[in-house]
Amino acid sequence: MVETGNLDSTVATRKPAFRAGKGHAIAHHGELLQGVFEDDAGRLHRGLMTLPLDRIRSVATFKITETARIKALPPDRTKAETAARLTLEHIDRSHTGGDLVIKSAIPVGHGYGSSTADVVSSIRAVADAHDVKLRRSSICRLAVAAEGASDAIPYEDQAVLFAHREGVVIEHFGGALPPLLVVGFKAHNGTPIDTLGLQPARYGSEEIQLFRILRGLASRSIRFQDPYLLGRVATVSAQISLRHLPKSRLDVALQIARQHHACGVQVAHSGSLVGVLLDAAQRDAWTKALDLAQTIRDAGFKDVEIHSVNTEEALENET
Amino acid sequence: MKLDADYFRALETPRLARLAPNLVAAAFPLMKLMPARFILDRAEASGELKPGAHIVETTSGTFGMAVALLAAARSYPLTLVTASSLIDRKYQARLERLDATVVAIDDPLGDGNQTGRLKFLNNTLKENPESFWTRQYDSAGNWLAYANLVDILVRNVGQIDFLVGCVGTGGSLCGTGTFLRQIFPDLKIFAVDTHRSMLFGQPVGKRMLRGLGNSVLPGNVRHELVDEIHWVGAYPAYQSAHALFRDEGVFMGPTSGAAALVAKWVASKHDGATVAVIMPDEGHRHADTIYNEAWLADLPGWPCKHPTEPETLSRIRPAKESDWTHFPWARRRLDDVLLSQ
Ligand SMILES: Cc1ncc(COP(=O)(O)O)c(C=O)c1O
Repeated sequence: MVETGNLDSTVATRKPAFRAGKGHAIAHHGELLQGVFEDDAGRLHRGLMTLPLDRIRSVATFKITETARIKALPPDRTKAETAARLTLEHIDRSHTGGDLVIKSAIPVGHGYGSSTADVVSSIRAVADAHDVKLRRSSICRLAVAAEGASDAIPYEDQAVLFAHREGVVIEHFGGALPPLLVVGFKAHNGTPIDTLGLQPARYGSEEIQLFRILRGLASRSIRFQDPYLLGRVATVSAQISLRHLPKSRLDVALQIARQHHACGVQVAHSGSLVGVLLDAAQRDAWTKALDLAQTIRDAGFKDVEIHSVNTEEALENET
Repeated sequence: MKLDADYFRALETPRLARLAPNLVAAAFPLMKLMPARFILDRAEASGELKPGAHIVETTSGTFGMAVALLAAARSYPLTLVTASSLIDRKYQARLERLDATVVAIDDPLGDGNQTGRLKFLNNTLKENPESFWTRQYDSAGNWLAYANLVDILVRNVGQIDFLVGCVGTGGSLCGTGTFLRQIFPDLKIFAVDTHRSMLFGQPVGKRMLRGLGNSVLPGNVRHELVDEIHWVGAYPAYQSAHALFRDEGVFMGPTSGAAALVAKWVASKHDGATVAVIMPDEGHRHADTIYNEAWLADLPGWPCKHPTEPETLSRIRPAKESDWTHFPWARRRLDDVLLSQ
């Protein structure tokens, strides 16, 4: 959703040069599923299902200027700047420019999707400044055009299988993710990964066939709000990802997840994040999550945090 | 090539029939279309199968029908090599109506003469190097295709704890089982074979129940997946097919009857678990035989008592066509089981 601008009612009477808009975008905790998926015509598309994390965000403001120049702050956010430019073209305002300011709380290089979040918040800020509401599908297309590959965070908690290099949804699973607690931590002692420098994985026929099944299982898990089936999807997808981007000691995490009767384990397919998924609707879910977090810390993993996805918990509950 | 002729894709889409609260059957009109299409699609994509090239296979069964449908729709000439003892005139006429050439090799021993069929096929390949052999016995495409079935099962059923299915080439059970066990690691796999088939260590001999079992070992049979093996005789398989039609309105062939017999027994033993069973073809082809009272009446020993439980074997051995036996395979290799016998 595009946030409405934080402008007071006098804005409309101001000169266009002073109009400003605001946009936000959430982070994510890597993917629940990532692979290649066949369409009805038998063509393969790279696609993913994002695990959204709405606690940390990127916020962008965009102030319209009359020269067709875009100035981004911080100046290294060139992809966000490109996204702002493409958005102006998309809404037919390419003769104008603006000052883009990005403030993000999202850590870089672990698979939280910081780059896409900056791009998406910028797109929303530009559209908002011009009083245009963009569809999520347009935001995704613009984001992919700006950075080559994107994720599905404009869809927030709505579960979709998203072609991250084409910017289109492959399958709408038809609802939100079931409520989850994610005990997240970092593999590789938390060393960041240059996510955009990674080569796309090359999958074999058996893996491609397995992705077909994981997509079917993901669909079932959303339709019936079943966190355990979703956890199976994530675990198998994580195991496949290991063959393409090894993560140190993921086997330990998988074993801990099993011992604690968790739903499964997900990873950032281009990052160091790992998350153990718990059913947030079960009794004593938080107690179980805290207990699991301690076990994971004791096993020597770094930066252990508990996130809630689509729950009704107060935000202060999160550690 | 003609336009993608997919009007028969529904033939490879199983109807899901609930035979018990915890038992789901995937009842296929023509299961073999799933691997046949997958194998042809892959070979076309890789360039191994060129437009208009000659396709060959050693079968006159359901895989032959599936390839014949696809070859006709996609304009490939097709030769199917069978044995004189296995000829089914009406089925052959249907294959020929699809422009398939059916070659019947002499079969003096009545065992299907697989060696003679392979010799003929290899000669054809040598004479015509552009021709393409679908190789359902050992092509990976045979088992890989069944990801489609698992997709249908998980979308419609969710978690599955037991899988029951026939073994002929091994493609359907081992493919479905391989994929299903990757997402549900605790899955138990029950294989259904028949007496005097060599697949699970019996000495070969004349088999009455056709479509499952084998006298040679296809590469697509993966014994290490199998938890338990059942050998179902022709008669209980026929009776089970009759019951499926009468009690559930599901009109299937005799191998589906054999699979249903085992699956119903498994489901009754495991109340809280979900059982899925694969049923490979419909009953129409068998209307003159197993659904024909006069044909049945001529069978030696028919009618007979319908077994309600399998006899547990401690030593693998053949049994009568009226018998149903089983053996704990325990995911072992064939050699290891034979050594332990
Ligand atoms: C009617 C029927 N049932 C069962 C089977 C066995 O299936 P599979 O070859 O996949 O093991 C076949 C295979 O030819 C068949 O035609």
